[in-house]
Amino acid sequence: MKVLILTSGVPFIRGGAEILAESLRDAVCVAGHQAEIVALPFQSCPPSRISEQMLACRLLDVTETCGVRIDRVIGLKFPAYLVPHPHKVIWLLHQHRTAYEFWDHPAAGDLIHYPEGPVVRDAIRQADRALIPEAEAIYTLSANVSARLRRFSGIDAEPLYNPPASAMLFYKDSAKDYFFFPSRINPVKRQWLAVQALALCREPVRVRFAGEADHEAQRAECVRSVRELRLGDRVEWLGMVSEQQKRDEYANSLGVVFPPVDEDYGYVTLEAMLSSKPVITCADSGGPLEFVVDRVTGLVADPTPESLAQAMDTLWADRRSATAMGEAGRARYADLKISWETVVENLLR
Amino acid sequence: MMAQTRGLRILIATVRVPFVDGGAEAHATGLRNALLEAGHRAEIVSVPFKWYPPQCILDQMLACRLLDLRAAGDTPVDCLIGLKFPAYLIPHPNKVVWVLHQHRQAYDLWQQPMGDLHRLPHGAEVRDAIHRADAELLPEARRLFANSRNVAARMQTYCGIQAAPLYHPPPDAPKFHGGAAEEFLYFPSRLNALKRQRLVIDALAHTRAKVRVCFSGPDIDPGYHESCMALARRNKLRSRVEWLGTTSEEAKRDLYARCLGVVFPPLDEDYGYVTLEAMLARKPVVTCEDSGGPLEFIAHRETGLVSEPTPQGLADAMDELWEDRDNARRWGEAGRQRYSDLRIDWGTVLEKLLQ
Repeated sequence: MKVLILTSGVPFIRGGAEILAESLRDAVCVAGHQAEIVALPFQSCPPSRISEQMLACRLLDVTETCGVRIDRVIGLKFPAYLVPHPHKVIWLLHQHRTAYEFWDHPAAGDLIHYPEGPVVRDAIRQADRALIPEAEAIYTLSANVSARLRRFSGIDAEPLYNPPASAMLFYKDSAKDYFFFPSRINPVKRQWLAVQALALCREPVRVRFAGEADHEAQRAECVRSVRELRLGDRVEWLGMVSEQQKRDEYANSLGVVFPPVDEDYGYVTLEAMLSSKPVITCADSGGPLEFVVDRVTGLVADPTPESLAQAMDTLWADRRSATAMGEAGRARYADLKISWETVVENLLR
Repeated sequence: MMAQTRGLRILIATVRVPFVDGGAEAHATGLRNALLEAGHRAEIVSVPFKWYPPQCILDQMLACRLLDLRAAGDTPVDCLIGLKFPAYLIPHPNKVVWVLHQHRQAYDLWQQPMGDLHRLPHGAEVRDAIHRADAELLPEARRLFANSRNVAARMQTYCGIQAAPLYHPPPDAPKFHGGAAEEFLYFPSRLNALKRQRLVIDALAHTRAKVRVCFSGPDIDPGYHESCMALARRNKLRSRVEWLGTTSEEAKRDLYARCLGVVFPPLDEDYGYVTLEAMLARKPVVTCEDSGGPLEFIAHRETGLVSEPTPQGLADAMDELWEDRDNARRWGEAGRQRYSDLRIDWGTVLEKLLQ
């Protein structure tokens, strides 16, 4: 088959969605097909331009190339998944989040701050409702993304999990005295919540953060809290780390702290499980809750500094339980049978 | 002024026909790599393109006008370099357009046997819309360049737009090398009616000497390769013609190095890497009077031979090269010298594009 993968992105930004599109392309090729990525530029600001880019996507024609039929297109991101095709499958990474669950989120909301915001939000919602069902089949990245699609757009879709990159390279080593928190540093990943919690811990809990800040100001803010709360060497900022170093940090950690707001899916959870480490997450963290079973493969705290501090204290003080939960997480990962073969089989069915 | 700065954020706008690689992809990639090497941040934005039925060209022109590349996230994009229709219509306050070619079906190929827009429903309306868009919107660019003098001349003729020709090196230019001439002429190109492999087969039936030609290149256009092979069989030329299909880049460079000369008689080529690659490999080029781009580089009996675009004309040129090996070698060396004199390198290109 000739397969096109349709995605949208911001030029010069390479993140999870770009890596996922490339992994999917490679997996489709491994399955014996021809696959290419069509990456359309997307600019969400000012909002008035969003409607124009939706229209641009509707105007493209990817039904054939040089007289040869394109057998299947796989839409991943808004608005690229709106490009028409008679045999389209959507594997929804997420909708345009600030038109939905992040509309009035204090840190993540953006459309809401513009006069034309409500009109653009409604246009996005109408387009999704009317046009997503054009696809022959609709899948999503996670049960969390499926639930949002059902709640906001009234559309049912089955989640289809994919493994993190280089899944087989994650390993387990003996636990040292730190929790690991790898993620881009921004208000939605809530590094600040972990910092606040540290100040309330009774145990001398330490956290190592890896990842770059979206904006330097956000990192400076975290660093300032650490100073104000006198946390000293209980916090380490590793910045951008190599994939190898990231796997080493997982392997040697006591556990992983990952308390984002309503994460779509979250490779961090899966990487922790592959490294046989327990995960501390929050009741509003979204995707991680599909994998973390409270007190079995990790701990689910309330999204408050107090509750998160208590969860960190618990694992810090009870290493035996921490180890057992990590092992249970590894076993759960194996049970889920997450593989690219399964993803490709479903998308090309 | 911009050329002195580093760290500019530059986007290259082009179109892509999915699953079809060609010179345009090599051009965009070469430009991006040169910008990265010069210390800028550069990325290619590629819009899928399909030219039939004709109305869908209008849709895609509009789609390009609706895309927004003025900023990427919160940060402005400093410069947009447009290469191909209709991606070069994407608006930007600091746009430079370096036209690889316009939509030829609406211009020089209109009502030509190689074109089909004029035969399709609404062809004339679509042609007119393309003409209007190019005439009105290309001048939005801060500077206009063309891939070659040939492309610049077409822009002048059809749209009254002036663009400066700007040559760039073929991919991996430093890897080409000369070598001792063996008993064959080489014709590397996509197998295609515009490249005119058939004309060469026809010519082989008219040569005095037993000239041999080796063809390489992908076979994409349905039926064309078969028609060439049938013609070779009919003219009993099978032992004098070799089809290598798609070769690796290394094998291609080796064939250039070993051939006696290169045959490249396309119809009105925009630019033509083949000519430049032959010059880099110190080989003379046989081309035709109506071949376009190659004529900007090949001077008759100086760096190759320019023949009439007829089987007899091309046969005479191939015979001349085949029988006079001294001249063949001399013209090849002169071609290499001419390449150096022209200063075809990415440094020069960036200086012009970003000035």
